[in-house]
Amino acid sequence: MSATAAMVSPESVVLEAREVLHRYGPRVGLERVSFRAAAPGVVAIRGANGSGKSTLLRILAGLLRPTEGETALAVDGAETKRSDRSRWIGYAAPDLAFYSELTAAENLRFAAESRGMERPDEAVRQALERVHLESRGDDRVTALSSGMVQRLRLAFALLHRPPVLLMDEPGSFLDEEGRGAWVGLVQAQRRERLIVIATNEEREWTLADESVELRGRGLGRPA
Amino acid sequence: MPTNPSSSAAAVWAVLRKECLSEWRTRYGLNAALLFAITSLAAVSFSIGRLGDRSDVLAGLLWIVLLFAALASLAHAFVREVEGRTLTMLRLVAAPTAIAIGKLLFNFLFLALIEVVTVPLFLMLMGAPAPRWGSFLALLALGSVGLAIASTVVGAIISQTRGRGALFAGTSFPLLLPVVAAAVSGTRAQWNGGSVDAELRLLAAYAVALLAMSLLLYDHLWED
Repeated sequence: MSATAAMVSPESVVLEAREVLHRYGPRVGLERVSFRAAAPGVVAIRGANGSGKSTLLRILAGLLRPTEGETALAVDGAETKRSDRSRWIGYAAPDLAFYSELTAAENLRFAAESRGMERPDEAVRQALERVHLESRGDDRVTALSSGMVQRLRLAFALLHRPPVLLMDEPGSFLDEEGRGAWVGLVQAQRRERLIVIATNEEREWTLADESVELRGRGLGRPA
Repeated sequence: MPTNPSSSAAAVWAVLRKECLSEWRTRYGLNAALLFAITSLAAVSFSIGRLGDRSDVLAGLLWIVLLFAALASLAHAFVREVEGRTLTMLRLVAAPTAIAIGKLLFNFLFLALIEVVTVPLFLMLMGAPAPRWGSFLALLALGSVGLAIASTVVGAIISQTRGRGALFAGTSFPLLLPVVAAAVSGTRAQWNGGSVDAELRLLAAYAVALLAMSLLLYDHLWED
């Protein structure tokens, strides 16, 4: 590996969507969209339910291949391979589930070890502290509330300190303290990373420097 | 956080450790496979009795029990990722090939554990003659590698489909048949005092070919 996520300067990261459109069978799940966002900063993806916010985030994360168009993540001027993108991206979304038979810390440790991180225990401890979940690290995921699982998703996204954070409805299930902690986290990270938030929550999109409005009217139209 | 250069090996090791820990905590496949192997062994033993001098039947029965134990359990490695909705997390932290190799190693260890219980029980209950241990263990090891590779790749292919159980049995059977045929032939030969070199070579070559084919496939299997 030529560079690690932690060594990249935030100014050298650019995320781009070029004429991206996605269909689920005959339905258009994401209307054509293009945008370019450079780190550091916060970008909000907004749109009606079913307009394709989550689909766009999955495409940006390299988890879904778009039907048309392409996405690109450039680091230090070089475009990264789509298959390698998760190395540079932290992803927190409702479709992210954890191993229920493992503890919160074991899930994060598995992620840290799989990513080949040095000192995985330290990384796990720091990630749990950042979302105020350190006291529940040894609890199995089945014993965590929905809000705590959401905090664990945020910890997972932050674990390897990626230059890009993709967050889908990050405030979901969080109580007031959790939302406050999340807002604090965004404020603390916004000068270091590119943060992309898919949301319709005013409290969340007002944090953004710029917004991308998805044109889909929800529920998808037949192609 | 810095990453080290041997991250692929680290990912394989992490997946293997996670699989072992998950299986230990849930006994998701172990109990089912052991129960299946032992009950089918007991049923064969009660219905046929001891077959001390029938090495042809013994070899066939042994591998049929192992084949069905594999069919009953080895697809779980991928199916439970889909059922637990953990495939997204897995895809985010490791490359498809590292995931597949980790799961393949787990399936091989799993099968070895089943054999540690099943094979001595089989030899005892069926009154089988003492095997030539070197040849016998080499056949078991290479046969298990073949079963594990075929089951892992088919498990990955069918994991996101409906009707996985029937599909797994139907899809994996053509891939597993050469392994079982060669293993049965070799096991019979070692009891009859013949050479097993040809069968060992065939099992090794088939395992290498199957592994190479499956490694080419894994990168394309989990696209949405």
